[in-house]
Amino acid sequence: MESIPLLGISIWTIAKIFASIAFLIYIVFAAVVVRQVQLMTDTLEVGFELALKMLALGHLIFAAIVFLTALIIL
Amino acid sequence: MPDIFINPPEEKKEPETLSPREKHKAPGHIHNPLAAYSYLPDKVNFETREREEKVILLLRQHPITLLPKAALAALMILAPSILSIFPIFSFLPSNFQLITVLGWYLFTTAFVLESFLTWFFNVYILTDERIVDIDFANLIYKEVSDANIDKIQDVTYKMGGAIRTVFNYGDVLIQTASEVPNFEFLAVPKPDEVAKILQDLRIEEEQEKLEGRIR
Repeated sequence: MESIPLLGISIWTIAKIFASIAFLIYIVFAAVVVRQVQLMTDTLEVGFELALKMLALGHLIFAAIVFLTALIIL
Repeated sequence: MPDIFINPPEEKKEPETLSPREKHKAPGHIHNPLAAYSYLPDKVNFETREREEKVILLLRQHPITLLPKAALAALMILAPSILSIFPIFSFLPSNFQLITVLGWYLFTTAFVLESFLTWFFNVYILTDERIVDIDFANLIYKEVSDANIDKIQDVTYKMGGAIRTVFNYGDVLIQTASEVPNFEFLAVPKPDEVAKILQDLRIEEEQEKLEGRIR
């Protein structure tokens, strides 16, 4: 396994840290989308609000699952 | 001095309402919440709507305008399968390859969701009192503008190009004397009918003014 000279840390460990941080930031983005959909549906109601909220929530759950998967398998 | 004649107070008439049966028979009236052209929609409500205000027309951009983004989304969905033929990520360990694919699909989901939400919530609403333009430029910015029907000065609609002619959509440009001087309903279906409805609303508003029925 490749490691950085002097530090002796595996390059994949650093890659794992960066990937985890990226997915964590993505979860924050997905949470912002959920909040924004809430605000949008408050602004405009057309009888499709529940489906949109479920869609945004599903996106957040998907992001959380990918984050946890990255933590476990990397 | 006794009054010889007192003008009876004018009854405030409600704007003409269609019965639910007539409403459902009206051309352009549909129940699909994803419709780009919805005449007399049933469930539409917006933040600044007044209690007696009736929504006459709800417009979005024609769904065909989503085609380039839909094609891009399809490519993005297929990309991992196509790229698997060319082993460009073969230098990565298998667990990193899996996470890369998952991350890619996450990014694709965000693209599809953002494109859909921006299309869905960018609407133009005509009520019996005003026109409302709700703009969601992206997920964290919104702008809501409105102008009273009696402030409309000029309505122009234009349709140009083969695709717009085939799918019957175009732009409706509205000049007003309100704070927002121009309203642009871009790529909306049936722009001629939209202009006609606007014209009818303006005439009705003039009539209400003459009869003193202004809300």
